Amino acid sequence: MDWPSFFQSIANGVLIAGLYASVTLGLTLVLGVMGIVNFAHGELVMLGAYSTFWLFTMLGIDPLLSIAITAPLLFLVGIFVYRFTIRPILKDPPLNQLLLTLGLSIFLQNLAMILWKTDSRSVITSYSGMSLHLGMVHVGATRLITFAISVALTAVLIVFLHKMRLGKAMRAVSENNTGSWLVGINVQKTYMLAFGVACALAGVSGSLVSTIMYTYPMVGFKLSLKAFCILILGGLGNISGALLGSLVLGLTESFVGTYVPEGSGWAEGISFFLIIVVLIIKPTGLAGTRRE
Amino acid sequence: MLKLKAIDINYGDIQALWEISLRVEEGELVAIVGSNGAGKSTILKTISGLIRPRNGSVEFEGKRIDGLAPDRIVRAGISMVPEGRELFPRMSVRENLEMGATYIGRARAQAARSLEHVHELFPVLAQRAGQLAGTLSGGEQQMVAIGRALMAKPRILIMDEPSLGLAPLMVEEVFRAARTVNREGVTVILVEQNVRQSLKFAHRGYVLENGRIVMEGTGKELSENRHVKEAYLGL
Repeated sequence: MDWPSFFQSIANGVLIAGLYASVTLGLTLVLGVMGIVNFAHGELVMLGAYSTFWLFTMLGIDPLLSIAITAPLLFLVGIFVYRFTIRPILKDPPLNQLLLTLGLSIFLQNLAMILWKTDSRSVITSYSGMSLHLGMVHVGATRLITFAISVALTAVLIVFLHKMRLGKAMRAVSENNTGSWLVGINVQKTYMLAFGVACALAGVSGSLVSTIMYTYPMVGFKLSLKAFCILILGGLGNISGALLGSLVLGLTESFVGTYVPEGSGWAEGISFFLIIVVLIIKPTGLAGTRRE
Repeated sequence: MLKLKAIDINYGDIQALWEISLRVEEGELVAIVGSNGAGKSTILKTISGLIRPRNGSVEFEGKRIDGLAPDRIVRAGISMVPEGRELFPRMSVRENLEMGATYIGRARAQAARSLEHVHELFPVLAQRAGQLAGTLSGGEQQMVAIGRALMAKPRILIMDEPSLGLAPLMVEEVFRAARTVNREGVTVILVEQNVRQSLKFAHRGYVLENGRIVMEGTGKELSENRHVKEAYLGL
């Protein structure tokens, strides 16, 4: 057994899982609280990545520091998107909601192509090429930092949802709408803020994405396909499921890339294979339970 | 304290309530009785803001509250124990109860004291504090729903069919709780199909048939009325 490449695969898988988790969390939040599948979530990540790229290129702001700008910026974008597109269709049939968010996704992709062309942009910082040696494993500095930020982000979100008044309101709304109104929660306002928080998370993910991937108009689409795979893997609308799903997808991609001949090509498509397997064997997801 | 004037409610093309007028005085326990589909729950949902009336008004302490969202009405001092309980199934019993006080400013400050009070009313909830609400029996869930509504420190407590589907012992327990709460000064409006029990406890009652109020009187008057006896008490 070639142990170094085995451990390297584990490290790569875990590190990329952190990024996947940060993309999936926002999607999970909107699905859990509002019951809406937001196909445009990836495009919000893409907007976060472009914001980071331009802040870096034009103003020289470090991509990781720019999180302090992309998060509030995307929060505001989210409030705007909610107010003018999501709120009017809240009571519509799910198919209409799907079509709306899908349309929004295509619109934002094309807007990005018009504004910024289809060039692949990259953010190269002084620490981009650095890597650390941990035993048998080599780890890129940016990957490690993005992983650490993803973990911190997840921890903050969990504390927010369980300890803060607004976070608890989001959990309450996700469990029972009428019950939430009756304990004095303004459900409409909670929807708006949950959507805003999800978009702020997308902004943070975008900043992280820009440091380890190329930024181009379709980057969000690719990531949201993976995020949907993770949602199905982990079970819809719960955070622990999203984390578990991210880990499974990250590791699977990494191992397929290393051990399967021509693996790096296969790894990109493995997410769809996993979706099919999970839907056949355990349709509620790995951590999911059937909902009443 | 609470006045409904000429309320009309429609569900699509079907009119569910016709010119409902009723009043509730401070400290009263008022029962609204009637058969299934008479419109009892619709009255309560109108008071709590879950449904908006087409015509008519709801006044609470002289101010109109019809048209306000349910969260504002809870904050004004009217809490509802809804039919079907509407708990948060994946939160613990304790969390469910605390949620009742979390979003009401004046109740939040007294949450610890209110929680003790709910535990005195339903000691079993103290034992079940850590259990997920979705795993409780129907009767225990009903206690959580009542407790959650009380955590908001309401002036008026409205209860929608609290005895529905419960075992006889639990029914007793729920009615006992309603009376205790009322004696402690909370005005109670009770909607029930269990006509005998609710008229026994109520100061006053209204009889609802096909969306209209057909009779009004004290609990004693109504339970001795010939029509009520024949139609609802099986006598």
